[in-house]
Amino acid sequence: MNAPVHDTQSNAELLDEALQRACDAVAPTWPLDQLIAVNPYWGHVEQPFNIAASHLSQIGGSRLTMQQSYYRAQWQEGRIEVQHLRQANKEFGGHLSEKALLDALELADSALTPAPLLCDSLDSQRDLLHEPAWCDTITHQIAQFCAAYFDRDQADWHPNQEQALYASWRETLSRDHSVALLMKAAHIPAKAKALAPDSHTQLQRALEQLGVEPTQWARYFEAVLMRVSGWAAWCAYRRWQARLAGGDDQALLDLLAIRLSWECLIDDAKRHTGSAWKRWQQAWWTHFHRGDQTDLDVLAIWQRAHEIGYQQTLCKQLATAYHESEYAAPSVQAVFCIDVRSEVFRRHLEAQSTAIQTLGFAGFFGLPISYTPLGTQATRAQLPGLLAPAIDVTDSSGDTERDEQIRQRRQRNLKAGFAKRPWQIMPGSSFTLVETLGLGYIGKLFRRSMPTTSRVVTGVTSGFDKSDLKGMRPTLQVALAGDLEQQAELAARVLRGMGLAEGAMAPLVLLIGHGSQSANNPHGAGLDCGACCGQTGEVNARALAGLLNDAAVRERLLRSDIHIPSNTRFIAGLHNTTTDDVALFDTDNLPATLHRALTQLTDQLAAAGLAARRERAPALGLEHLQDKPGSLTRAVKQRANDWAQTRPEWGLANNAAFIVAPRSRTRGVKLGGRSFLHDYDHHKDPDNSLLELIMTAPMVVTHWINMQYYASTVDNQRYGSGNKLLHNVVGGRLGVFEGNGGDLRIGLAWQSIHDGANYRHEPLRLTVVIDAPATAIEAVIAKHDLVRNLVNNQWLYLARFQGNDIVFYRRGEWLSLG
Amino acid sequence: MDLPVHWLLPLVYIAGFLVAAGLKNGHWLIARATAAVGFSAALVAIVGNLLGAGLGIWYSPDSLGLVMVALVSVLGWVVIAYSQRYLQGEKNQACFVRATLFTLACVSLLVVSQNLLIMVLAWSGTSIGLHYLLTFYRERKSAQIVAHKKFIVSRLADLCLLVAILLIYNTAGTLSLNGLSGYLNSVNTLTPMLHLAAVLFAVAAILKSAQLPLHGWLIQVMEAPTPVSALLHAGVVNMGGFVLIRLAELVSLAPLAQALLVVVGGGSAVLAGLVTMTRISIKVRLAWSTCAQMGFMLMEVGLGFYELALLHLVAHSLYKAYAFLAAGNTVSETRHHRLYSIGVQSRSIAWCVFAAFGSALMVWLSISVWQWLLPALNMPWVVALIIALGLAPLLWWEQGASPYLVVRGCLSVLGLTQLYIVWHIVFADLAPPAADVAPALTLWVVMIFSLLYLMQVWLRCYPSGQLATRLYPWAYNGFYLDETFTRLTFKFWPARLSPRQAQTLVNKQEVHYGDTL
Repeated sequence: MNAPVHDTQSNAELLDEALQRACDAVAPTWPLDQLIAVNPYWGHVEQPFNIAASHLSQIGGSRLTMQQSYYRAQWQEGRIEVQHLRQANKEFGGHLSEKALLDALELADSALTPAPLLCDSLDSQRDLLHEPAWCDTITHQIAQFCAAYFDRDQADWHPNQEQALYASWRETLSRDHSVALLMKAAHIPAKAKALAPDSHTQLQRALEQLGVEPTQWARYFEAVLMRVSGWAAWCAYRRWQARLAGGDDQALLDLLAIRLSWECLIDDAKRHTGSAWKRWQQAWWTHFHRGDQTDLDVLAIWQRAHEIGYQQTLCKQLATAYHESEYAAPSVQAVFCIDVRSEVFRRHLEAQSTAIQTLGFAGFFGLPISYTPLGTQATRAQLPGLLAPAIDVTDSSGDTERDEQIRQRRQRNLKAGFAKRPWQIMPGSSFTLVETLGLGYIGKLFRRSMPTTSRVVTGVTSGFDKSDLKGMRPTLQVALAGDLEQQAELAARVLRGMGLAEGAMAPLVLLIGHGSQSANNPHGAGLDCGACCGQTGEVNARALAGLLNDAAVRERLLRSDIHIPSNTRFIAGLHNTTTDDVALFDTDNLPATLHRALTQLTDQLAAAGLAARRERAPALGLEHLQDKPGSLTRAVKQRANDWAQTRPEWGLANNAAFIVAPRSRTRGVKLGGRSFLHDYDHHKDPDNSLLELIMTAPMVVTHWINMQYYASTVDNQRYGSGNKLLHNVVGGRLGVFEGNGGDLRIGLAWQSIHDGANYRHEPLRLTVVIDAPATAIEAVIAKHDLVRNLVNNQWLYLARFQGNDIVFYRRGEWLSLG
Repeated sequence: MDLPVHWLLPLVYIAGFLVAAGLKNGHWLIARATAAVGFSAALVAIVGNLLGAGLGIWYSPDSLGLVMVALVSVLGWVVIAYSQRYLQGEKNQACFVRATLFTLACVSLLVVSQNLLIMVLAWSGTSIGLHYLLTFYRERKSAQIVAHKKFIVSRLADLCLLVAILLIYNTAGTLSLNGLSGYLNSVNTLTPMLHLAAVLFAVAAILKSAQLPLHGWLIQVMEAPTPVSALLHAGVVNMGGFVLIRLAELVSLAPLAQALLVVVGGGSAVLAGLVTMTRISIKVRLAWSTCAQMGFMLMEVGLGFYELALLHLVAHSLYKAYAFLAAGNTVSETRHHRLYSIGVQSRSIAWCVFAAFGSALMVWLSISVWQWLLPALNMPWVVALIIALGLAPLLWWEQGASPYLVVRGCLSVLGLTQLYIVWHIVFADLAPPAADVAPALTLWVVMIFSLLYLMQVWLRCYPSGQLATRLYPWAYNGFYLDETFTRLTFKFWPARLSPRQAQTLVNKQEVHYGDTL
């Protein structure tokens, strides 16, 4: 496939298009301290799911379904029934007989291979028992270099980070003899020096040198990037952030150029029959012309059958659940995050009293904020990754003078901490450090080996004197949040979104964010609130409560026809999803009339927590403590502080549905912690603006979470981060290596989806059930390409309530499930 | 039989291993029980020794062995408790338990033994047990290759040890430490054969403590579960230092062995220290730091400061065990450090050099006061210099100095110096007496540690200057020492991989964790 001479103009266009396609196929990954879920197939949602599956199987050797043995087990254990299989088969056109489908499961698990590169051809000629493989060496070199280039927090000595990624890599490699030594390829540094100085020229040169036909460019680029998919995702994150801020970032393109350059560096320039290049060309051609898709089709049908099985159960549960609201005047309204873990807790809290009403709303509570801890510059986003922050929040006691004193005191303390830093990290000091402080670690070893039940203080309070913390709360920065007018506007928008703007407001309104508690866990932020960008929801909840309790804001709200009764108080809280404890904040200035109600509520929250822990106990291997509340509580809390615990909680594992409806649709139904719940009453949304918002923001976020779990389960090697026991944090926060090196690992650890014996996550595409008229939903689908892609391409399933039944949206029609 | 009480520990671990080896189930129960009994046994030994010193019962004159027993029992208990929860859900846990107990049994036997042959066998045994643990994930190619590199280095070391004890037996006619001690007391200088034996022991220690240039295996063994790394870095790799302290009388008489230890150990400490600055992943950074710390410990042995070497060995074990087991905290630590990042205001070479003088003054004053109080205190000036240079960064004040920071910094320097002297005094009673050493060696140490201080100052002040840029590829690649060694092993003694293990990562068939091959 030597490239014939083409019109250069069109070739240049073709090249740019191919580059763009390859780069756009890569989904971003967030750093570990803000670990939010991302659909790793985000670049493929413009294609139907099954097309994307076959594409990815060819390009990357990655599968989008489980393997035969998994469905065999589901079938044998009765989770997939014959009717589900029939229905799925029908949806796929019914080309295969039931027997063929069943027989296909008896085959051994099939293996996929990624699209071959030149390095694979070279490796197949090498004696891999006696020589390192090019493939692995290249990945290692690139991964180590990228880590050094992007690192800001781990190493104290870096390569040139001012240059572009590609230029810095080229310079580094031209002086680096390690690969030359290890692979006995002395020419590598000199060849690296001869590479084009900029990535774009080098990309063109590489295509010429390797003789890749223009028709193959796009998939070739994609296949090349797949080989360093972890770092590609990191570069895509940088691009994502740059674009949110209105700019752009070239690192992803540079990374592609780097990986492609390696193909050139190891190319021996021989083109005769039997040369590595020739064999690669043949392998490439064969790889893309195999044509046999039956295997993938069969598995796709089984996957669909598995999903139908779940959907049927869900439909049955929801159909029998409907009650007219029995709680006309609630005494407590509690707003929780839509997170699946809230479902369990809400159910148990409601069980405490019919006067408690709970609502579901995205856990950042609609505040587009970033948070800067007082006296620092450590600003962090507290909103979904799809959005850019607009307002800043910082800690304040409400007294400017006191704030300023505390700020100075804290900065002094932090500076003192910083002054110790060189002594802690300089190699010349480490010997003295060991001989003076080393023996003291015996105390730490004992303490950590016997985990306590205490709540670990988060890093945010460091540098504060203890007395300074009193009265401190995250507060919207008035200067930045705009004047009263704008604050009231924000408050009105949030209240409408939550459905609290109309109707009676209870005397106590809880705004409950959530956060997890785990020790020694690099992926801990992944268990926190995704809507708060991998942070706990505490800041958002407290800032919003402050805003809504502000008398001036309340008065201004009257102009928007929103009346907050004067005896209503908003209280912020935090649901600890690991221990199911709820902590309430800033209750000290509550009016005396509410004290009794608060005491009662605190007891109810505690009782709900106990019941929630009981429900979760078996999944944590604590079923023997189910009837011993004290021991169970202790065990769960110790687990949260246990530095050796790889499964502190199951996070969002097993998530499968997103229900957008009034709580009356689901109240009392045991959804098993598998459903995101968003309150929505279409009667209060005449112009569909809320529905549009929900379908373009929370629905996308839940889909991202769903697909992150899905991908980490079906292909943990590429989209999951592997074994937690081997995790090795890179650059302080960039990501992890599994073991010594290799590519950056993204996604969830094996331990987060599997308990050692069984999968804890069933990979099912999200089922979204909305309680809204068909026309309203269809209008949103028609208006937004993104929503249309997700729905029509089956990246999720969309359904709506029709009376008490549920009907699914399929190619423009609403059909009941089989 | 008249066994000192601290012999209980190896007996407990050997028993634990034998029971675990014979059982089909309940391995963790056995392991936990063994660790708990072992820990209690060590406590009994220590308390008995303290109380019984006057009474003559429960007393063991081997304070070095006692310290090591205490250390091993603590590490064993921590690592086993950690592993039990950490490994939940993994396959082959029973094998893991057996190998861990076996390794700990060997280590504890090594530290109490008074016979060279048993010591050599036990030392070799730890390496075998560890080899199994390092290849716990058999499907991981890099785990196999690294473990193989370690295997080769360990066997080379074993060879040295075998020849060494043959030479000793030939000359002194005994393999018991007491016998050797008696023999050494009767002579003034070593015979060439004994001198060679001492050198061989030093070489073995250098090999087993992962010193440059054969350090690569230690750096790359992140392919096993975290507690294995902790055990290796805290409880096994430092045995080289221990054995040399045991043989202090022999080493003190062998200038060649001392020179070798000081040159290689000191060199490794400085070079590996520099490499540490370039590491971008936490576990690999910790591993390079171990390499440097072990170099420092061997250097102390070479300089004849046995009490400091022992202090270093024990303190480093505890510190490094913690650092590995808590390596997952890195992300929260990063978040914490980011609160500080208010910006660096002042960095100047002159100031940093001045800071070193300031720190030296405070250290010197402290030592003078202590020596006035305790005239017997022996604090060599080269040690004082290393402490002073180590503490100097506390006076750098890179975000600008304020009276508050100056006071805090000086108090830190003074406080840490006192702490250092106290530990020094405590350990002086536990280790063999210091030995004399050639002035050239002291000079070498002064030179390289001053150079290290200046280098780190320079890199800090000019992070993108000529020196930093030119030297970076060398430090980043570990001075290219390991690539050559790896290449040679591939050529002359390749790891035996199954075809499935040999596959490249991307083309690998999906392998499930713990699959057998």
